[in-house]
This record gives sequence, C-alpha cells and structure tokens, in this order.
Amino acid sequence: MANADALFHVDGLSKQFGGVQALANVTMSVAPGELRAVIGPNGAGKSTFFNTITGLFPPTSGNVFFQGERITGQPPHALARIGIGRTFQITSIFRELTVRENLQVALTGRERRSWSIWPKARTMNMPRVRELLALVGLTDTGTRIAGTLSHGDQKRLELAIALAGQPRLLLLDEPTAGMAAQERLASIHLVGSLARELGLTVIFTEHDMAVVFAVATVITVLHQGAVLAEGIPAAVRAMPAVQQVYLGEAVAPVE
Amino acid sequence: METIGLFFTEHFGWIQNPVVVARQMLAGISNGMLLFLISAGLSLIFGVSRIVNFAHGVLFMLGAYFALTIAGFGPESGLWFVLALIAGAVGLFAFGAAVEMALLRPLYQAAHEFQLLLTFALVFIVGDLVKLIWGREDHAVAVPGLLTGSTEAFGVTFPTYRMFLIVFGVLVAIALWWVLHRTRWGILVRAATMDRHMLGALGTNTKALFTGVFALGAALAGLGGALAAPIVAVGPGLHVQVIIDAFVVVVIGGMASVGGALVASLLVGIVNAFGVLAFPSAAVVLTFALMAFILIVRPWGLFGTPE
Amino acid sequence: MNRPSLLAIAILAAIALPLGLTDFWTFIAIEVLVFALYAVSFNLLLGYGGMLSFGHAAFFGVGGYTVAILVKHGGLPLAVAFPAALAMSAITAAIIGFFSVRRIGIYFAMLTFAFQMLLYTVALKATGLTGGDDGITGLKAAGALSKPIYYYWFALIIVIVALALMHRIVHSPFGMTLQALRGNPRRVEYVGINVRTHQLATFVLAGTIAGLAGAIFAISSGNVFPGWLNWTASATPIVMAVLGGFRTFIGPMVGAAVYVMLEVVISGHTEYWPLIMGVIIVVLVLMMPEGIMGMTRRIRDGKR
Repeated sequence: MANADALFHVDGLSKQFGGVQALANVTMSVAPGELRAVIGPNGAGKSTFFNTITGLFPPTSGNVFFQGERITGQPPHALARIGIGRTFQITSIFRELTVRENLQVALTGRERRSWSIWPKARTMNMPRVRELLALVGLTDTGTRIAGTLSHGDQKRLELAIALAGQPRLLLLDEPTAGMAAQERLASIHLVGSLARELGLTVIFTEHDMAVVFAVATVITVLHQGAVLAEGIPAAVRAMPAVQQVYLGEAVAPVE
Repeated sequence: METIGLFFTEHFGWIQNPVVVARQMLAGISNGMLLFLISAGLSLIFGVSRIVNFAHGVLFMLGAYFALTIAGFGPESGLWFVLALIAGAVGLFAFGAAVEMALLRPLYQAAHEFQLLLTFALVFIVGDLVKLIWGREDHAVAVPGLLTGSTEAFGVTFPTYRMFLIVFGVLVAIALWWVLHRTRWGILVRAATMDRHMLGALGTNTKALFTGVFALGAALAGLGGALAAPIVAVGPGLHVQVIIDAFVVVVIGGMASVGGALVASLLVGIVNAFGVLAFPSAAVVLTFALMAFILIVRPWGLFGTPE
Repeated sequence: MNRPSLLAIAILAAIALPLGLTDFWTFIAIEVLVFALYAVSFNLLLGYGGMLSFGHAAFFGVGGYTVAILVKHGGLPLAVAFPAALAMSAITAAIIGFFSVRRIGIYFAMLTFAFQMLLYTVALKATGLTGGDDGITGLKAAGALSKPIYYYWFALIIVIVALALMHRIVHSPFGMTLQALRGNPRRVEYVGINVRTHQLATFVLAGTIAGLAGAIFAISSGNVFPGWLNWTASATPIVMAVLGGFRTFIGPMVGAAVYVMLEVVISGHTEYWPLIMGVIIVVLVLMMPEGIMGMTRRIRDGKR
C-alpha cells in the first residue's frame, strides 16, 4: 500500500463486463477529512467505480482497503457495519414507510437490533430520529409517507439514512441528480458542512462542475475507465488533458 | 461390499443392457423435446413481459384435448393428426392472445404478485372447464397410422413415433431460432428480453409485442400437447407434471433463455428417463436434486445471466 | 370503542361461539380458526416481507402429516405430536427456504411451487408412511379433546397465542425491517442488515406456523390427504390473504372466514368449486386488489 495514512485506498481496480473494460487499473487514496469528487464524462466509469467499491458486484481484479483493512468484494451490509454509508444516484429510500420509520430502520441496522422482537418499533430511538431530521433540515416531516416528499427532500432523507449509520466514510453517487440549479448548490453545501461538523470523509460523483468546485478538496478525473488526472481543484482545472476531455463544457470559468 | 453389489444390480442392472440404455435414451430425448416446446414458450413470455405463466401446463393440456377431439373424427387416416397439430397450435395461439388482451394487459402496471395470481386462477378455471367438457376420466389417443410400429437404427428397434417427435422437435427449434434471429419481430423480442427499457425508446408497439409473444408461447405449448397426446394419458391431471418439469427446466436453463431451455429440457428428459429405471418411485427427486445442485453452483441457471 | 375492549369482546365472543353451535358448525368454526392462522402466517411472507410463495401448503401438509403419522403409527399423544409437527415444518422450511430465498421475486414463486410439488409426490409415493392416495384417516384426539367443543377451545388457545406472537413480531424492529426490505432490499443491505438471513427467518417462522395450523386441522378433520400438498392447496392462503386484504394484519383472517364459509356453501351445490374460486381470483385481482379490508377502510375514510 502506497499510502499508509489513507482512510480509503483503491489499488489497481479493474472491472470487465463481457468484453467491455469498464474500469482499468484505478488506484486512488483518500485521506481522512477529504471531500473527494470523482468526475468524468458520461461512460467514464463513475457508476461502475462506485458500485464496485460498495460491494454491489466484485471487481475483476484489484483491491479496496478501508482503514487499512482489505474489504474487496464484501457484501454491502458488512461495509455498512464497519462505517461506510452510501446514497444512490436514483434516490433509494423506503417509500412506503413514514419518514420517521425510514430512520428507525437505519438506526436498527446501526444498533444491530434488526433481530429483536421486543420493543415496539414505532417508538424506538425517537430522540436520535429528531436529531437526524434536524441535521438535514427535515424537522416536522416525521409522520409523512416518505414517497410523498418532494424530490429534494427525498434526497435529504436518504442522506439522513446514510448518516444514521454513523459512517466514517460517506459515498454519494450523484447527490444532486435531478435537482434545480440553485437547489444543487444548497444541497452540496449541506453535505460539506455536515462533513466538517461530523468529521466525515466524503467521496462523491458529480457531473455539475459548479457543484464539484463548490466543495471538493481533491478531484479525480476518470476517463474511459482509467484515472486521467488527480489533484486539488485549481490544478485539475488547469490541466490541458482535462480541458480536452471536457471540451465544450464549462470547466474553465474562474470565479 | 456385497450389499453394494446387490444395490447396484437392483437399481443399475440395466446399464449392462445396451438396448435398454439406447431405448431409454431415445425416450428421454423425445420427452425432452416436448418439454422444450413448453419451456421455450415459458421463457419467451417471461423474457418479454416478466410474467411466469403458471397456466402454461393447462395450455399444453388443452392442446392434447384438441388432438383427442379431432382424433375422434377419423383415427384411421393420418390426416387427422396433421389437423390436430394445426388445431393445437392455432387454437392455443388464439386462446393465448385473448387471455393476454383481456386479463393480463390491465395488470402490467400492477404488482407482479397479481399477474402470477391471475395465471394461477387460469389453471383453476381451465382445469375445471376441461372436466366439464371432456369428463374426468383419462383418454387414450392412437398413434397416427404412418407413425405406428418401430424403426431400426444402429441395430436397435425404436418406436417410430418417438423418432418422429425428436425430428419434429429439432425442426421446431430451428424454426424458432430463425424467427428469433432472422426476423425483425424476433430481433425485437430478443432486444426486449435483454433490455426492457429499450422498447419504449424504440417506440415499438409494445402492446402488440406482448400479445404476440404470449400467443406464440401458448401456441408452442398447444403444439406440444397435441404432439404428446398419443403417448400420454389425456386427462384432467395432465398439466401438473408438465408444469413442474417446465419450471425445473427454466430454473436449470436460466430464465428467458430459449437456448438454455433446449439444453435443460433434454437434460431433464434424460435424467427422468434413466431415473425411472433406477429408482422407479423416486425419479422425480432426481430432477429436483439436479435443480438444487444447479442452484447452488449457478443460481442464475446454466445459460442465464446474473443481474 | 377503543382497541383493547374491542379485542376483549372479540375473544369472549370466540370463546362463547361453539355453545350455540351444532357439532358440524363447531367443526366449521375450527376450520375458520385454522385457516385464519394459516392465512396470517402466509401474509408474513406476502404482506410484510413482499415474498409471494406458491408453496406455502408444503408446511401445512408437513405439519398435518407429522401429527397424523405420529398419532396413527406411533400412538403418541398430542403433547408430543404437536411439538414434533412444529419442528418438522421448521426444518422443512429451513431447507426449502435456503434454496428459494436466494432469489426473491419470480424465482422464489417458482421454487416454492416446485418444492411443494416434490413433497406432494413424496406423500403420494411413500405409501408405507403416508398411505399414498388414500391418506391417513381415522385420527382422533384422546380424552376430553375428542369432543368437538373442547377441541375448539384447545385450538382457540393455540391460535390466539400464535396470532399474538405474529402481531408482536410484525410491530417489532424485526417486523419493521421486514417491511422496509419488502420495498427496497438494497437500501436495507446498505444500512448494515443482512437481507437474506432476515428473509429466511421469516420464511421459517411462516412455515412453522403453517405447520401448526396443519397439525390442528389434521386432528379436527380426522385425516390427512396428499391433496393438502397439491398445488391447488397453495392457492388457498393466497386467495384468503388477497381476499381479505394483505396490507393489514387482520385482513387475511377476514379473508379466511369468508373463504371457508363460501366453500361450505358453494361446494354443497357444485363439485366445480375450483372453477368458482378461479373466477373469484380474477375478479379480485382485476376489480378489488386491496381486498375486503382495503375496501372497508376506503369506505370508512370517505368514498374516493
């Protein structure tokens, strides 16, 4: 391992689907406290990268390390238990349950109480539920059916579900997908401030450059399944190779 | 040692008799061909509409009853048999189309539980209607004139009808392959099976495609039933073993894979044929053991794709 | 009126019920109890876990046959036969569940169906043990329980305890987890919960309770037949749950009561009860997918 003090480290990760090389030898290290953006044009392998490191399917070769331990190919529930939380590009919540129950399920997972049949589930963990709702700005929505929330609020709920697990590492797949432009910035700033407040490390994919440059501390650029560039935002922005890949997209404007 | 020897002679003594082995092999392959006609339809329907058609066994049974009725008009000539095959295929094509349009179409937006439940209800309804129309007893259908007797091949005599079933099954398999790979309609069916969202994007008439596939699947089952009529007891219980075997086949072959259905049908047919020789009362357990084994090593089936 | 007092009245009524009934109707009342329990156990899978099993009759049958074989061939008392039936159906459910729960959805429906048919074949073919086609007949409880009214009360106690247990479970953290994974198993995985083991546990619980229902019914009806394990038998709990409304705890019980009464009335007039049941399913599925409880709730909440 190249980077002993990394919280999260990916080593030579490759993934093939049939004959298609979706990920080619990706290596990256994420230090504690980083807000790492993984960007790239459509088809660059962002989703595959995300799904491979979160145990949805195993890599063809390569390894994933978390806090120095090898976690390659471990099932999602095992990853959640050691402190990795995630959200999905297509918002993934319990649509038929109330907002409160959504968080109670997540807390049940966190506390490993999903097997217990004793306390009444509906009254469990209420103080913590209120805390989480306040954290993402959803106070007073607790008794609503989650599926009836607005799109943005569903995204916030999903974030709260991920936070309920008290992760050290938070993986957000397109956290602002489907939002209006102003809402996007507000939403990513919420993520940024929560990460600082709770001492989280965050890795997120994003295609809106304004969102990326608003909070990211380090950026990794994927292109055709491989790492094209990596560095602090100002440096990445200046790289000719990156500008070429994003030709025609608004990377260049400086604030 | 001696008990093992005894066990072997009792259950596997037939292995030393090549004629028995060859005949049983042929019986297994011909049964497998019939099984293929049913499970291919089951796979096609599942692939396009994601419906497991529990009623596929009764569709097969209807085909056999159609053959029974037509045979009643003139068993001495061979012509009735051709008519019976056409009636089985065309009749079930129409029946399948009607069922799909009237009952299943309103349910594509509903939870898939309801679709399964509806096909399950069809089993009750058709199963009882058959009793009302044809009675509760089993009937025998004569083997058509030309195909009676036996034929010699490789120094062994085989029942001619079994040979015919194999040839016919191969022809149907080739025809099906041609339709699925060489016609525009077939390419659409395969595309829909691989990626269901593609249909909407292509702007295809999805309704017609769903109806067509269901009707084709029903027609294959009806054809299979008519073909099977001369070698089975045509009665109200006919559909039960058929649908179980077909389910085992699609689980082994992989859902939505017609090629997998062919290989698995032959496999199940052959295992059944020899299982009956070895363990007359426990043959069915063997196919289940095969299924369980496949499920452990390849949960998505031999030719399926993990999602 | 509040819920506890309603519940108390319902239980008192259930206790008093057979006092005004003939033996025949007491048997029907036991049948309602048995199938209410059976349908609720099934609904743990469908309504709460989102798993549509087409082979739930396997466990009802295993429970019934275990009791029948132990009582008839072993001459054992119910105090031994009933726990043995529970154990056998739990073990069977664990084995079938191990294979079936790997893939929820369509595979699950097909595999549960196929395994049940395997057991059906065993019941038909293992004539020495099961009596084959003829089943096992002439079962009778010893002593006071041989009187229908006492057996009714005996069954009532078991059913109430089992229902209370299941009610407890669906409202517990386990039950909430189950309802969460019904709609979104992947999200449940990512909050650190092993989805498959929870589904398997639910499958075993549901199978065990179904076995208990089968055990009670074997003694009250006095016999068991391979038909208990036939594919048609697995439609019964599905129809009951959907008829009553599978989105509520109480719905399947209502469905079971209506179903049993319908069957008693209709099969007195025609032998084509399956045909009528098929038509009922079609009507249910196309016209009132929420079942009786869903309908009454909608009417109560104001017609929309």
